[in-house]
Amino acid sequence: MNFNFDLVVTSFPLLLLGAGVTIKITAMSVALGVLIGLFVGIARICRVKPLRFLAAVYVDFFRGTPLLVQIFLFYFAVPVITGQRIDPYVAAVGSCGINSGAYVAEIVRAGIQSIDAGQMEAGRSLGMTWGQTMRYIIVPQAIKRVIPPLGNEFIALLKDSSLVSVIGFEELTRRGQLIIAKTYGSLEIWFSVAIIYLVMTLSISRLVAYLEKRYNTDDRH
Amino acid sequence: MIDIENLHKSFGDAHILKGIDLHIKEKEVVVIIGPSGSGKSTLLRCINYLEQPTEGMVSVDGIVLNSEANINDVRKEVGMVFQRFNLFPHMTVLENIMLAPVKVRHMDKGEAESLAKTLLARVGLADKAESYPEQLSGGQQQRVAIARALAMKPKVMLFDEPTSALDPEMVGEVLDVMKSLAKEGMTMVIVTHEMGFAREVGDRVLFVDDGRIIEQGTPAEVFEHPQEERTKNFLSKVL
Repeated sequence: MNFNFDLVVTSFPLLLLGAGVTIKITAMSVALGVLIGLFVGIARICRVKPLRFLAAVYVDFFRGTPLLVQIFLFYFAVPVITGQRIDPYVAAVGSCGINSGAYVAEIVRAGIQSIDAGQMEAGRSLGMTWGQTMRYIIVPQAIKRVIPPLGNEFIALLKDSSLVSVIGFEELTRRGQLIIAKTYGSLEIWFSVAIIYLVMTLSISRLVAYLEKRYNTDDRH
Repeated sequence: MIDIENLHKSFGDAHILKGIDLHIKEKEVVVIIGPSGSGKSTLLRCINYLEQPTEGMVSVDGIVLNSEANINDVRKEVGMVFQRFNLFPHMTVLENIMLAPVKVRHMDKGEAESLAKTLLARVGLADKAESYPEQLSGGQQQRVAIARALAMKPKVMLFDEPTSALDPEMVGEVLDVMKSLAKEGMTMVIVTHEMGFAREVGDRVLFVDDGRIIEQGTPAEVFEHPQEERTKNFLSKVL
């Protein structure tokens, strides 16, 4: 076996560029996913039946079909309907964010449902509306409980973002493929790509562990 | 003050309340006793619509409870104290008490804070304003919960087994607060297993069994001269 370290060194700046793009689309998708997830998650347990139903359909569809297929749908199928090409960046963030939203919705729902029913009763018995009780009493307590599962979801999303390489979007995985096409250095490049992903996911899990600890020490549960 | 007519409540196939008629006057202290599962907590929870009646009518202070809008209006006037306190764990004692007056009554924060401090002093916890619920004993938490309900200046207070989750040595401090409330003329409906308290504080005692009011009267009547076999049977076990 011949491991070419020079290839690793020379292609590293290009790979890091790709990693930057990966971080960027992950961050954008996370933001979109959390926004969607918060609303869909609350809709899943609200009292308006049609809303509950729509939210359930959303979660079922995006959790029940492969992300890869969703990316193809977004990038290739939607333009057939609208007649307009979609920017790969929009397709990447859109499909990852919408997909992640379904998972975040389930995390939000579980977090809210884990809060003792007596809290809602206490809020309502004081004359607060359902919305006020959610906002001031239930959600603040639920946030603390959803930090660890949200962290897992972000890590999964960062790794899954490699799938958008299939629509030619030049994030880390796609960069790797392009370099290999020129240099044939499969071993060196895939190894480097893996290490870079690992560093990124470990960083997120450290950050989550820190947040978890901070919330548990300077506040009550 | 509270009028209940032909109240029925079922949970699925379980018929919990089987036709309750009850009229409670202003300043009256009504104590509800009865065996576990008799429906006494459900009856109490129907008064502020935490449970929705299957059939029948509940009205508080002249307002019939039937729509979301008037339910909130009624709840502003009806304080409730729960068996398990249900304080908000992420807020200080002071914040627990201030929340509803500020958000529901739109009281200004300074005013709500001084009200909260007055109420805390009244339940003997003036020094605990900045504590979190988990730092307090059960008896202290329940007294905070009473102060929190009182902050809405309710016309009626409902107590759902307020001392059942407490260690025996803490029962007295909570009952003392309730006694002083009764003396000041608060209208109160209390579900409890504390028979001594019921006898001392109640204007009227209701014995509930199997979803019906079996017997009612002054504490002397119910405790000393029960008429019904089921009441005698129950009292012989708890007294």
